[in-house]
Amino acid sequence: MALDHRGAGEPAPVATFFERHQDQLIPFLFVLPALAYVGYFAFLPTYQTIQYSFQTPILSFTYYNYQANVQSGLYSWISNTLWLTAGALALQFGLALGVASILNRGFRGKTIFATIAILPIGIATVVAGFTFNQIFPGTGAGYANSILAYFGIAPVYWLAHPWLALLVVIIADSWKNTSLVIIILVAGYATIPRTLYQAAAIDGAGALRQFVHVTLPGLRGFIVMALLIRGAQEVNIFQLAYIMISSYPQLLTVQIYLLWESSGGYPYIASAVSTVLLGIVTVFIVVVIVVGGRK
Amino acid sequence: MTAPSTAAVDGTNRAAVRPPAPVFRPRRFTLSNIGLYASMCLISLFFLFPIYLIFLIGFTPDQYTLFSGRPPIIPPQLTWSNLQAGLSASNAPFLPSMYLSLEVAFFVGALAILIGIPTAYGLSRLGSKLAYGLTTVLFVVNMLPSITIAIPISVQFIRIGLYGSPISIGLTQELLALPVTVFLLVGAFQGLPRDLENQARVDGAGRFRAIYGNLVPLVAPALAAAFLLAWMLSWDESTFALILYNPATSATLPVNIFLAFTGRGNPVVGVAFSCVATIPVIVLTVFLQKYLKGEDLAAGVRG
Repeated sequence: MALDHRGAGEPAPVATFFERHQDQLIPFLFVLPALAYVGYFAFLPTYQTIQYSFQTPILSFTYYNYQANVQSGLYSWISNTLWLTAGALALQFGLALGVASILNRGFRGKTIFATIAILPIGIATVVAGFTFNQIFPGTGAGYANSILAYFGIAPVYWLAHPWLALLVVIIADSWKNTSLVIIILVAGYATIPRTLYQAAAIDGAGALRQFVHVTLPGLRGFIVMALLIRGAQEVNIFQLAYIMISSYPQLLTVQIYLLWESSGGYPYIASAVSTVLLGIVTVFIVVVIVVGGRK
Repeated sequence: MTAPSTAAVDGTNRAAVRPPAPVFRPRRFTLSNIGLYASMCLISLFFLFPIYLIFLIGFTPDQYTLFSGRPPIIPPQLTWSNLQAGLSASNAPFLPSMYLSLEVAFFVGALAILIGIPTAYGLSRLGSKLAYGLTTVLFVVNMLPSITIAIPISVQFIRIGLYGSPISIGLTQELLALPVTVFLLVGAFQGLPRDLENQARVDGAGRFRAIYGNLVPLVAPALAAAFLLAWMLSWDESTFALILYNPATSATLPVNIFLAFTGRGNPVVGVAFSCVATIPVIVLTVFLQKYLKGEDLAAGVRG
């Protein structure tokens, strides 16, 4: 329409970049401080970690930091961390699916149950670590053994075997973090239309078939997202495990901490392990972006 | 980002008109409900028992807890002596530690609001593609390993002399608090009618006046929740606080708890600090329950 008022041969007015994107540029400026902050405090240190991992204390290039860690058992730290992650995710999702499907039904006492189920979110990780250390200590004492004693079962030395030690950490971590998965899955349940269940019930589907054919497909996006978030957080498990099992079996994060603590301020060897940890987390991040972007 | 949902954690959808009661809903305590109630009791026990233990160990003489071969689950007697001994220990002074924890937590909460408001406003006004990209950036920040980030930052802070200060600890903990704060506030801003801002602008208010004068008061409850959530994340956080604390001055409560239980301190101090640190967060969690939404935590997944 504006073109109608132009004389012949007069050039079309060219909108500047600012004019063309004004509606997007100003909101973007509002986001800029946050971007600058995470750039400086999250992405720059991440880059520095990778850089340190290939440096000697006199800043020359080296693979030594990786070789030294491979010799001390890097591969076993990776596999311990991944087994712990897999076990914890399995337990948390089993438990959370159960709790979320209970919460999806109407019954007396539901509000109290919902509150109880998210209480662990507030408890500090170190406090949870200490409490579960008192339940599952390596000494043959502890509250779990007190309970087993009521049933006449001999005391268990929880940290005597690496698999058993990983299992008790998995239980403790699931106590602390299942609440987060419950919250995400409950939100997923809220997106499933009730009428689907009614239709399934009319067609004669029982509770189990409703779960398999209505609930699981409806929750798929939420389950995938929660698995990825929890998976990335799970490989970062540190103080809970360190308080409970110290260094047996050894995990990536605990090893990073111990290497840094004994380094006298030189981050190079610890950064090699950090970079490996970062690599695992990056796999989760890439999948999040791919899965999230598909929608 | 999805449109803000009002589904709270107990599954109730407060805004939507409730559909007629679904056919499978159990109404009475019947035989078929026994399984449901039994599993509910078991799961509740699992969630509550460790919290009970925190206070059991806190208020029972330590010969029945820390130093017992068969610690009883019902306390044979109660005592204040753990708390008294733990809170007056000279190697980990309680008051400076609690003061540092409070300082850092209030700093993290305030900064979360300060940066969170403009960020959330901007994201709620951006086109969906750009908003999605920026949300993903914040989401990635939340997934990065704290310990990986903490070490280079620690190296920097030692160099510039900020090491161990409340601000240095707070600035790193903000990495955990900011994304959640922003997701929560974006939901609140998107819930407001777009015309509110336009109207204020037509009436002659600048963009800042429109945001802080007209929009922010309407999202006050979400702001309060975001502040408290950020406060709580900082109060509980211990990885950044551990790598960045200065042994010569003071450490936050969780760091002292960590040191007490990893052989570098007195376990009784850890027990007492744990009790004190746990009380406010239990209250906060119950209070924040309805603001903890799956959509925010999963960064806008669609079903």
